[in-house]
Amino acid sequence: MYGDHAFKLVQHAKRTQALVHLPHYQTELVRETTREVRDLDKDVSNILAPFEGSFNPSSEPATACSVLVNHLCMRRNKRCLLAYHRVRSDKLEEMCWSGKDILDQEQQAGRQGNGEGSGMASEAGNQSSLSPEEEEYIRQYGDMLAAYKGQWTDIDLTGSLEPPRDLFIDVRVLKDAGEIQTEYGAITLTKNSQFFVRQGDVERLIAQGYLQKLS
Amino acid sequence: MGSYYDIDAILTDAQKVPCTFDLDIPGLGYLDENAGGDIKAGTRVSLPLWLSTLLAVQRLGPSSQQLCTLDLPASISPRVLAALKAGPKTVDLRQLASHYYELAARVLELFEEEEIVDVLGETFKERAAEIADHAHNPRGALGEAQDFLRGLDEMERQLFRSAHGSSNAMREWMGETKKKR
Repeated sequence: MYGDHAFKLVQHAKRTQALVHLPHYQTELVRETTREVRDLDKDVSNILAPFEGSFNPSSEPATACSVLVNHLCMRRNKRCLLAYHRVRSDKLEEMCWSGKDILDQEQQAGRQGNGEGSGMASEAGNQSSLSPEEEEYIRQYGDMLAAYKGQWTDIDLTGSLEPPRDLFIDVRVLKDAGEIQTEYGAITLTKNSQFFVRQGDVERLIAQGYLQKLS
Repeated sequence: MGSYYDIDAILTDAQKVPCTFDLDIPGLGYLDENAGGDIKAGTRVSLPLWLSTLLAVQRLGPSSQQLCTLDLPASISPRVLAALKAGPKTVDLRQLASHYYELAARVLELFEEEEIVDVLGETFKERAAEIADHAHNPRGALGEAQDFLRGLDEMERQLFRSAHGSSNAMREWMGETKKKR
């Protein structure tokens, strides 16, 4: 039945709305749906070909019905495709505004996938859950956001909305992040070490997922 | 009913309703599991809402020929309505249709059925009170509560989630749950 692939896409979109991270891009389903639309369009052209532009729906209700059904299926597929992509891009934008470095996370996921699969061809190690178009979109969106934020240097628009309770906080390092400079000297961040640092210095790293705040 | 991009509206439209064709339509046999063939007049098929509502309102030709007639889905049959009148909180709406109220709203747009509208309105009011009760007073793993919550349709489920979330957020804001961030 036409519209089944599109329905699966919408179910994926519904699931995505409930999740925190973004699941994999359903390239196969999207391709199937667009293929269906193309086939339906071909069917409509075939049905209308004998009439050569002078089709009168009132005189041929049965043919008009077939054309209408095909047209409705095409519209339905289009709506489902658009909604699926809309949900994903909304989620990506939300992640951008919360300060997460998405491209960096995707690259790290890709590197991990490559490392575990020794001997695998490099192209098979693409573990990113975004399609190439989405990656391009997020890159340009990030640039635009940075340009927007740059207009106000004394306020961070993508920062936390919660006022800090203490000046200094305990943090644990989740991933190796090299050396950072603080007012009190340089700190080397190695995995699973704990530090007592100024909140303002490490806020950015917490948002990006390198550090974890301890309560 | 909902915006173009609204996922719940799209899922509502995907629900099926029975439809009877009034004409012979060539090439649409696949709707009746008869790929490549025709549909004969008088065939009853289960079509999704997005197809059936638009087909049902078509009037073609000088004789105002109708393409197909829409029937009320089984989920708002008299049997179900009687059950809802008797005990709205015990009926498992999710089993009848995942987006029950939206489905009924879409179908009732095309029919004049005041009674169904009244019954559904009453049902919603009673169930909403029950949902609010469950949301604000967590009763743990009691059997009855679990059954009721499992039988909620999608809209009621979202209602429950927001009621539960808002009461928790309120308590946290008032400082009763001291969460040291």
